[in-house]
Amino acid sequence: MLKIKGLKKTYGNQIRALKGIDLEVPKGMFGLLGPNGAGKTTLMKILATLLEPDEGVVELGGLNLVAQKGKARRALGYLPQEFGFYPTLTAEQTLDYFCRLKGVTDARERRSLIDALLERVNLTSARGQRVGGYSGGMRQRLGIAQALIGQPQLIIVDEPTAGLDPEERVRFHNLLSETAGENAVVVLSTHIVSDVSNLCSRMAVIRQGEILASSTPAEAVRRLDGSVWEASVPRESVAAFKSRFKVISSQTFDGRVRLRVLADGGAPGDEFNHATPTLEDYYLSLVSSTAEGRRG
Amino acid sequence: MSSLTRTPFGAVFRTEVLLNTKRVVPYVMMALFGVNAWLWWARGAATHYGWATNGDFFIMRNFTGFSFLTLPLFTAVLMGDPVIRDFRVGVNPLILSKPVGRAAYLLGKFFGNYFVLFCCQSVFALALVLFQAFRPAGMVVLPARLTPFVLHYLLLVVVSHMVLGAVYFTVGTLTRSPKLVYGLGVLFYPVYITSMILLKPLPTNWRIRLDPLLTVWPGIVQQSHGAEWENAASINQLTFNYDSDVIINRVLFLLIAALSLTILYFRFTRSEPTRADGAVTLLDLSGERETVFAGEDGRQSESPIEPSHPLARRVDIPVVRPAEEGAGTYLSQLVAALGVEFRLLRAERGLIMLAPLAVAFSTLELLFRVDPEGSYSGAYASGTAKTSLLFLIALVVFYTGEAMHRDREVRIEPVLWSVPAPNFVLLLSKFFATLLMSVSLIALIGLTAFAIQLLKRDTPVEVFAYLTVYAWIPLPSVALVAALSIALNVLLRDKYVTYALSFAVVGGLFYLYTQGYNHWLYNPVLHGLWSYADLAGTSGAHTPILTHRVYCLAITCMSLGLAHLYFPRRLERGLEGEGPLGSNGWSILVTCVALVVAVIAGVLLLLPQV
Repeated sequence: MLKIKGLKKTYGNQIRALKGIDLEVPKGMFGLLGPNGAGKTTLMKILATLLEPDEGVVELGGLNLVAQKGKARRALGYLPQEFGFYPTLTAEQTLDYFCRLKGVTDARERRSLIDALLERVNLTSARGQRVGGYSGGMRQRLGIAQALIGQPQLIIVDEPTAGLDPEERVRFHNLLSETAGENAVVVLSTHIVSDVSNLCSRMAVIRQGEILASSTPAEAVRRLDGSVWEASVPRESVAAFKSRFKVISSQTFDGRVRLRVLADGGAPGDEFNHATPTLEDYYLSLVSSTAEGRRG
Repeated sequence: MSSLTRTPFGAVFRTEVLLNTKRVVPYVMMALFGVNAWLWWARGAATHYGWATNGDFFIMRNFTGFSFLTLPLFTAVLMGDPVIRDFRVGVNPLILSKPVGRAAYLLGKFFGNYFVLFCCQSVFALALVLFQAFRPAGMVVLPARLTPFVLHYLLLVVVSHMVLGAVYFTVGTLTRSPKLVYGLGVLFYPVYITSMILLKPLPTNWRIRLDPLLTVWPGIVQQSHGAEWENAASINQLTFNYDSDVIINRVLFLLIAALSLTILYFRFTRSEPTRADGAVTLLDLSGERETVFAGEDGRQSESPIEPSHPLARRVDIPVVRPAEEGAGTYLSQLVAALGVEFRLLRAERGLIMLAPLAVAFSTLELLFRVDPEGSYSGAYASGTAKTSLLFLIALVVFYTGEAMHRDREVRIEPVLWSVPAPNFVLLLSKFFATLLMSVSLIALIGLTAFAIQLLKRDTPVEVFAYLTVYAWIPLPSVALVAALSIALNVLLRDKYVTYALSFAVVGGLFYLYTQGYNHWLYNPVLHGLWSYADLAGTSGAHTPILTHRVYCLAITCMSLGLAHLYFPRRLERGLEGEGPLGSNGWSILVTCVALVVAVIAGVLLLLPQV
């Protein structure tokens, strides 16, 4: 179990990136969902021991990740949002280097681990290729391979599918759900709702440095049962709906606007039909309500 | 004029100037050039020999010296990467998709940066002009004048560096490799000096016509008038007229600049050059075709649908037992990191070019007469140790900077910093890799000198003499320079500022050494303070050299301690740490002990008998 208590971080330019995060993350895949600039990467960097928080505690099974960085790094597997590898090294040389840095000193153990990791991420046939020639997806897979070295208890994956094409994204999802062990806490930070709905058993929504909600994806969707409505309305009536109801999303198509509206007390209008709620509805309703609350 | 600023050329030009105003380098350059002008005016040859500080000869000498000394490197810093920067930050598709012609884009970039370089260089000329207002006692100053300063500055500094700038700009833009440009900047010196040596037998008019910096011109005019340096009156009467040879020279080199830019115009492509190894991106490594899962409404489904075939074979990852922290683990990590750093260093293309040049430059004079100094091998080894020193310092500064910033540049830093390797492993691997590269280079130079000695039959050949010289002189010196460079890179956090500062300090120190200010305390490379007899123990100067090397080693350890203490990857807060002292505690201890040793060795060096 990963426990985060009162975590705060303010950058030098007075931007409050985290305003007191409290979160309990059980073993398994955990999705941290939030828009750009919500503080996800700051939180991930603190968990990965790369950034010092101003206040707060992060504990992983009794190990204080903030105070005991050396020990914490032995329990960590980290795939950052933006990363690269030495372009002139091959995948095998790269993994060998990370194995040795993670303390896998036995040559035979190391070789079998590298073979298995390369096989798992489907890079065996490219093991001798220089990493500089890898595609984005291949590099990402090599990234997850290095994060899995040494049975980490905490795996941090920051925006892993941003920039991947749909095919590579599916491949990555499958790889992650196959490898995310039952014995490790896997924190997946993303702004793509389907990443969370496809992979995570639990999730939290973060916005402007605060946790807005934490639950399972199914629970979150269930909360919206019967209150999501959809209709295609003329453009000029959108403002009226927006003033009376919480509009989750609006999409212009063929001169009309397709509205998804949250309304508990029955249909917002005759043209509205019940819609099956999705996790995206939940996320957008939460994020937009906070924004509206702030505006108000 | 206002219509020119509204053209695409004007827009690119103005943006380049604006971007440069937000960089540190131009301001550092201006400060350095101002100090340089003051040093040469107040403490230079003019005050020593009684020359007029605004006489033609001194103005010429200053401008050609200024043009030769550090300016080629600064020109490389400013002119090498204007286009590379656009590609690096990814703004190139935005600019190049606008109706901007290739010529407007390239010339705007070139002249925008050259204008900034011109402004920086002008500080030197302007300072010399202004110094005419001061007339300290003992300094000869002719009535104030402006024309010779302006004329000589434009023709000797501005034109020369426009040629160099055009070449650097062309190479940088076409290869997209700033390292190659800096390599060329460093290479300039040996290539220029060698070409001047090779041109020496030619008639003087040809030597003038073919000299890109015109550094030989003042000497030739001085000799043709029979004016001796010591004879200030005759020196002050020298005038320099731009005769046909000089004009041919300037036109020739301006044509070379134009040719270089023309080649660039025709060869420049708006896209990133495709690399040969990029072809692997076309490989389909998935084996099985993977599908995108979608719901009926076209949205991605909420729960993953099992594909009909597994995407990758399910392989169990073997359980490994990472070793506990301790000396053995640290050593294994250091060896691994050192291996990778050295492999990365070997992959540097510039080194393939620079290493043979370093060897050629360091051993060139051995082909001529060598005085035995008691031992032929000692003389050969001493000669190469002396000539290779500057080259080695430049290489060590450059490659240490590259190694220190490479992790951030290739974006491996967050991954690397999250692994359980201590900071000293990361730092020492870079230090030892640079040291290993220098040792390899010294060995190569030694082997070449050894071979020349054998070929010239200057026997007996003593391997021990080579080992003694290299172990006492270049090796500790490069270790010190590498450690200082690592500390500077950690403290300043910027590669280019570190380069500029390092080269300025090295240039300034060597200038002081040549002026006779070369005390042991601020001469860590022992420039001009040793001979083979001192090292062989036959002159009685063995003890001060030994003390000096201890002093050097202490500063090396102190620099590494400081670098470790201020390394931005945090391991602990303050002195709270894991273990009896913690990482920071160890850094402070090593730094303090090294400081005490350095102070004791320094005091010993100050004692009269030493």
